[in-house]
Amino acid sequence: MKSVVDPEAKYARSLLRPTTLLIEEEIFDLPLTQAIRGRLPQAEVVVVERPDAEKLQHLSRRFSPLSTLLLARHRGRFLKACPGTDESYRCCLYQILHLGLGCNIGCSYCVLQGYLNNPFITQFVNLEEAFAELDRELERPGVFYRIGTGEFTDSLFMDPLTGLAPRLLDYFGSCRHAVLELKTKSVAIASLLDYPGEIGETIVSWSLNAPSVSAREEGHAASLTERLQAAARCRRRGYRIGLHFDPLFDFQGWQDEYRRTVALIFEHLGGDDIIWISIGAFRFMPKVRDELRWNHPRSNITAGEFIRGRDGKQRYFSAIRRRLYRFLVDEIKSYAPEVFIYFCMEDQYLWQDTFGYAPADNQELSHWLDRCCVRYREPAAGAS
Amino acid sequence: MKKSHGVISLAEIDFADRSFPFSWGPVPAVLAESITAVGVLQPPLLMEGKNGFRIVCGRRRLEYLRERTEATSVLVMAMADNCAEAELFRLALWDNRAIREFNLVETADIYLAAEKLFPAARLEGEIMPALALPRRPRFIKRCRIIASFPEGLRALTAAGAVDGETVDLLGEWSPEACQALLELVAVSGLRRNKLREVVGRIDDLSRRDGCAPTQPLAAAVKVAQVPETERVDGEVLRDYLKCALYPNLTQARRDFAARLEKLSWPARLQLEPPPDFEGGDYRLSFTFNGVREWQDALQKLTVLTGENVNEICRRP
Repeated sequence: MKSVVDPEAKYARSLLRPTTLLIEEEIFDLPLTQAIRGRLPQAEVVVVERPDAEKLQHLSRRFSPLSTLLLARHRGRFLKACPGTDESYRCCLYQILHLGLGCNIGCSYCVLQGYLNNPFITQFVNLEEAFAELDRELERPGVFYRIGTGEFTDSLFMDPLTGLAPRLLDYFGSCRHAVLELKTKSVAIASLLDYPGEIGETIVSWSLNAPSVSAREEGHAASLTERLQAAARCRRRGYRIGLHFDPLFDFQGWQDEYRRTVALIFEHLGGDDIIWISIGAFRFMPKVRDELRWNHPRSNITAGEFIRGRDGKQRYFSAIRRRLYRFLVDEIKSYAPEVFIYFCMEDQYLWQDTFGYAPADNQELSHWLDRCCVRYREPAAGAS
Repeated sequence: MKKSHGVISLAEIDFADRSFPFSWGPVPAVLAESITAVGVLQPPLLMEGKNGFRIVCGRRRLEYLRERTEATSVLVMAMADNCAEAELFRLALWDNRAIREFNLVETADIYLAAEKLFPAARLEGEIMPALALPRRPRFIKRCRIIASFPEGLRALTAAGAVDGETVDLLGEWSPEACQALLELVAVSGLRRNKLREVVGRIDDLSRRDGCAPTQPLAAAVKVAQVPETERVDGEVLRDYLKCALYPNLTQARRDFAARLEKLSWPARLQLEPPPDFEGGDYRLSFTFNGVREWQDALQKLTVLTGENVNEICRRP
């Protein structure tokens, strides 16, 4: 008998299944804490006082970060501007809703390796405070927000455990001056498909790469085909689909491989299904290189022609970036001439050289992306 | 701990035993002079063992005495064989640490020996801080890499010619590649920072091209070989590796130089592109000595057309 493997079920097996829950004492009774505990009845529960960085390191010697989830209270602002990079490169003025830290997919190129001093995957559970802050922030008249949760973690990899996506949809589904983007390399979309309420303009985005990069450098991520199948299902449910070719790599045979990925996209999605595609060549802070080599000794991704960018990050020499960008943009446009493509953290010269136009400043790029959201909203509003 | 002072024959010392690996490398010159002049004044600390006295403190002094002087006996302080080895180890560690810094090879040897003697808490709480060894896995791995090095590479590391980052890279290299590097060091004089750069670039090239480090290393040596000698020109070798690893950037620099040459750009006017052509400003500078040179320079600049300037600033 032919076996049918449900990609979500397959992926569910590789989701973080913590055997230990570290729970900060003061948030022990919060609903999300209890919900997660309820979904992990076998997990050992260890209640800790608010741990500082040193204590976290100490705890990591006792509890493996690979099998431990830290439930904590976030004490700073939840809504933050994306760190982006310095003014030499264009950034899109994205906003991050900071609900978690780290993930266990294990991409070799993950920049978080060099940034986080918390070894544990962390879920912030004081959601009511987050929504209260959003209420205050989103009251500002005339301001449109693009908000994502996938900057310091993967937006969905742990969703079966946290049930966070439906909570966010409850909030953003009817929000008129903000859109939520959930970025992922997982196919944990069950809660999105089953969501019974209004989903509004919510965008579900997948990070894509060349097939060999995906297989070699992206740890437990779902395959490209699985990701695009999931994207197609989300689209059928009405979600907007974003795609992110970030980071792009320069390696032998990259043209053929990226061509295959682009072809695969349009086997599953039409150009009109895609709200935007972002592109960014691999870049990293110099200190990340050591971490990356230590954590992924077989990876060769830092052994390229990297120069020091004006923001201090290591980047491919501009001629290489231009080749990558021109090729990929041409490939995408050959299938979907109208799709909006933008660069993440790239300079104006390469914008101009690739597209024939460039945003004058970050504000203009931000405005272009805001318009993409509105473009979708208008026909939807008309249809209703 | 039961101890006694006494004069013993050097033949009674078990020089092969390295249970207390507190020193590695030659005796410092000033100490060698002192021993040559007046012998070993401070009694080395030994411990009775099955094959003779084991050296706890004073290995280099004793080895120097045996190998470089006529002495046949020495005054020592000897511990009975029933004393706690771990305690003696601690004693020697703190005694050595008080008077000098350990080199990378000594640090590695001491740590790995201590691993066998002490529980984890003691290692982390006392031994590693005493060795200034950070409690991170990469530094422990570094110790194991050093322990696996051939003697020649250990000698270079102990002498400071190979630094910690280079050690980390060499940990992934085969014994053949390490041997080839040793041969390069012998004929090129590359040390420490320049050696780290060379090893880093060879490592990058081998990763990029999916080949063994011996391949880019052999290619670089071939290019940098000084004709009719055994010597390898370190600067030529570094330049070759840089060009091999940065072919596009190298070409861009050549193209920039060619564009200036096409414009008959005077050597006196120094024009520097932005670092790595990554956007930013070009920098023009020149020297002059009197009105004529000043006017010459200005004239050269004023005849440049907008097209010329665009051509100069064309980004690769």
